[in-house]
Amino acid sequence: MIEVIDLVKHYHAADGGIVRAVNGVSFVVQAGEMVGLLGANGAGKTSTLRMLATLLKPTAGTARVAGCDVRHDPVGVRQRLGYVSATTGVPDRLTPREIFMSFGRLHGIPPADLPGRAESLLEQLDLRRCADRPAGRLSSGQRQRVSLGRALVHDPPALVLDEPTNALDVVGARDLLVLLGELRGAGHAILLSTHRLHEIETRCDRFVIIHDGSVVAAGTRQGLVAEWIPGREAELEDAFFAAIAGRSAAPGSGG
Amino acid sequence: MNLPGHQRSLAAALAIARRDLLEFVRDRRTLVITLLLPMATYPILALSTALGLRTASQELEARAAPSSMHVGLSGPDAERLASLMKRTLADTPPSGRSGWPANLEIADVRAADVESLLDQGAITLWIETHAGLVRELESTGTVRLKARVSATRPAGPAVREQFEAFIRTLGRDVARERVQSAGLPATLLEPVRIAFEGDRGPAPTASHNVFSTLAGGVLVLLTVLTLTGAFYPAIDAIAGEKERGTIETLLIAPCRIDDIVWGKFFGVFAITLATLVANVVSIAATAAVSLRYLPRGMVATLPDGSVAAAIVATVLAFVGMAALAAATCLAVTTASKSGKEAQNTLTPVILLVSAVAGTVLLPGMRGGPLLAAVPFAGQIVVARAALGTGTTAPASAWTIMASLLMSLASSAVVTWLLLRLTAGTLADEDVLFRGPDVAGSPLHRPAPRQRPNVVQALVPLVAGFAGLWYVQGLVPSDLRWAIPIQQGVAVLAPLALVLWWQRVDLRGTFAWRRPARGGWVAAVLVGAALVGAGLFLLGAAALLAVRSAGISEEARHLSARLVSLIQAQPWWLAWLLVAVLPAICEELLFRGWVLAGLLGRRRSPGRARVAVGIQAAAFAVFHLLPERMPQTFALGLVLGTLVVVTRSLLPAIVCHLAHNSMPLVVLWLAGDVPGLAAAVEGGTPASSAGLPGWVVAAAAASTAIGIALLAAATRLNGNNRERPS
Repeated sequence: MIEVIDLVKHYHAADGGIVRAVNGVSFVVQAGEMVGLLGANGAGKTSTLRMLATLLKPTAGTARVAGCDVRHDPVGVRQRLGYVSATTGVPDRLTPREIFMSFGRLHGIPPADLPGRAESLLEQLDLRRCADRPAGRLSSGQRQRVSLGRALVHDPPALVLDEPTNALDVVGARDLLVLLGELRGAGHAILLSTHRLHEIETRCDRFVIIHDGSVVAAGTRQGLVAEWIPGREAELEDAFFAAIAGRSAAPGSGG
Repeated sequence: MNLPGHQRSLAAALAIARRDLLEFVRDRRTLVITLLLPMATYPILALSTALGLRTASQELEARAAPSSMHVGLSGPDAERLASLMKRTLADTPPSGRSGWPANLEIADVRAADVESLLDQGAITLWIETHAGLVRELESTGTVRLKARVSATRPAGPAVREQFEAFIRTLGRDVARERVQSAGLPATLLEPVRIAFEGDRGPAPTASHNVFSTLAGGVLVLLTVLTLTGAFYPAIDAIAGEKERGTIETLLIAPCRIDDIVWGKFFGVFAITLATLVANVVSIAATAAVSLRYLPRGMVATLPDGSVAAAIVATVLAFVGMAALAAATCLAVTTASKSGKEAQNTLTPVILLVSAVAGTVLLPGMRGGPLLAAVPFAGQIVVARAALGTGTTAPASAWTIMASLLMSLASSAVVTWLLLRLTAGTLADEDVLFRGPDVAGSPLHRPAPRQRPNVVQALVPLVAGFAGLWYVQGLVPSDLRWAIPIQQGVAVLAPLALVLWWQRVDLRGTFAWRRPARGGWVAAVLVGAALVGAGLFLLGAAALLAVRSAGISEEARHLSARLVSLIQAQPWWLAWLLVAVLPAICEELLFRGWVLAGLLGRRRSPGRARVAVGIQAAAFAVFHLLPERMPQTFALGLVLGTLVVVTRSLLPAIVCHLAHNSMPLVVLWLAGDVPGLAAAVEGGTPASSAGLPGWVVAAAAASTAIGIALLAAATRLNGNNRERPS
């Protein structure tokens, strides 16, 4: 569903040099799968997700969403992808209902179907009580759900979320991840990036760890722990640190 | 929905506009600026204006109001002077008493009583006569009278002016008597009399007409407020969305960047139109109320029947300005990453545009369709043509229509260009995600080996124009000094400054390379020279052909000075000053720096066309004289195209050199070929004939052959590049 193939992104630095933000990243997210994209700040997560969302043009390589190439068919990609950026991205002066309606129009949903679609999203995201309240007066959790609803308005098969739990408290983050789990169950391919590994450790099917613009490890939680912390019980976080440090922890050597 | 592409684009743009409008109308700040500001501004302006005019008018009326006056006379000839004054009082009809006191009493008083009489107010002024005064009046000299007024009850200006008016009449009576006693006819004193006649009857008169000032001020205010209507919505539309983090949600919608920009434009345009409507309604309501409070005679009225047409033309022109304002505000604020930054950027632009709008009110500024094409000023030109200026009647319907069409066409074209610029800026990843603080600030000193961006490209142009403006009064009239100083101050100094600051890759920025390999270099350079030479002669022929339209004194003066320079100086010095220096300096600035910045890193045919057009327009304006602008614009287009096609500055320099060398060639041949000298002199009164037909044909052939050579060389060079080595 989501294919990232040798994706490269270089920026021109202020000092005249080249910043290699993404340097040949490849991975796949299947339908009905939730994949966590992990990495430190500046690892290249956001650049990768922005290229997937067609906000940035790849320097080399490509990516496909539901068969549409980000280079050659960006509009097709946008029709098949829901994207939630790191900022909540919700207009303060519009209500959740108006936001869903306006983005539904942008996605070409027939006017007759718009109220029904907005209503079902409000129901699905538990936003009925604040459906007609300006988004500026909503809580962070509610705003994040509105943002997710905006990304889901055209019922895309693939979802990309950039640090979606950043601004949320523990309860809000859990509710959002439960919701994403339900969407995965409904067959959506979900790719999300985060720093908060413990939140998604048990919720994602697989993980892709990138460091300095390259994939340094990928696999299930168990697979990553077995590969990077062999021979002992460990958490995803331990495997993450080992992977970005580029070394396997020797058995019994401690965290 | 499966809609055709253009319908999908329109639907997306309208969806964005609808979303934005919903946001705008919920923003109290926007509503206040859009509706309340104009509703409050015009009444306040009208009240203060009416108050000021009324006060001034009352003062004038008080001066003009006839007063009662008692004049005391003393001395040997007091009785005879009183008799003369009484005769003037009795003989002058009411129509001849303009400015006189209402009542004038003349009395004989004793000199000893004068002080007390003046202080008591019993007499307004006192005149002491001397012996022989009346005899002097009958002779040919000027009799000097001294009037004394009270020190404690000083006479106001009205007393002085009214008594002076009376004495002028008395003087005329005395003069008439002198003429009669000399046996001369009375007509000696009135050699000419004029009466106005005409089909349209007497022109509208107003004793102190302030219509022009009021209408001009209101039109400039309308321009500023229309811009203000676009100010906050435009900031909110893109910079505000960036600040709130919502712009990305739009950019991942299934539509093109152009659709998003058009949607944003429709939203801002709608608010700006609402501002315009609020302004027009406020102006109309305020005018209806406040005109009746203005003193009589202050405002001339429009002829019946032309009011509606004038208002329609004005409003239509300002609809074009609303579009222009919306597009300008969007284009200026798109690079900003926050509302505050956008405000800081947009405020000086609004001030600059207001100043441009105000220039059409300058005395001596003539209207017309050409001036109507100037953005933000043309709309006022249309309005003034339709409304008249109070002292002049409205222009003819055809002139108004032509001006209106020119203004609307100009607004549409400039709006479209600005929206293209907005789309280009919005799509720029550097600007979108890293902000102009890093990528686009003109004060940011970029790393070596970078090309200038659009803003940086325009900086030396602005500095150059400022240099031209400030040195024009200081430059000596001798062209041997004037040309190098102007090139130095307006071209080289700004260019050197930005080069030092920006540290660009000189070779890349200035296209400092040979145009092609092998023998085709010669073909390109010869082609460029032929085109340059041909263009000069064709331009000169066109100038001579339309010479009847009038050439300004400045243009003639400059041409005459150039001819003198070429004839008086050694050929090599004249060639250096007229051709070599401008060709190198101006090419480095316009086709080197400016064009490189406008073209940017990601060149596309569309962007190249716009870039070539903009630098050509700047090149034309840089030459200041309107008569030369069509030719310099065409030359700028050719030179820009040469650089884009050959990717080298050298052909452009050769073409420019050939163009500027032609005056020397023409003057050298002038003795042999009649009419050629006129081409150089630029249409002096002495040169009446156009260029000989064969010269025009040769110029056209030279241009055509040059273009063919360039095309062939470029195509072959392209083929060579594509061929695998």
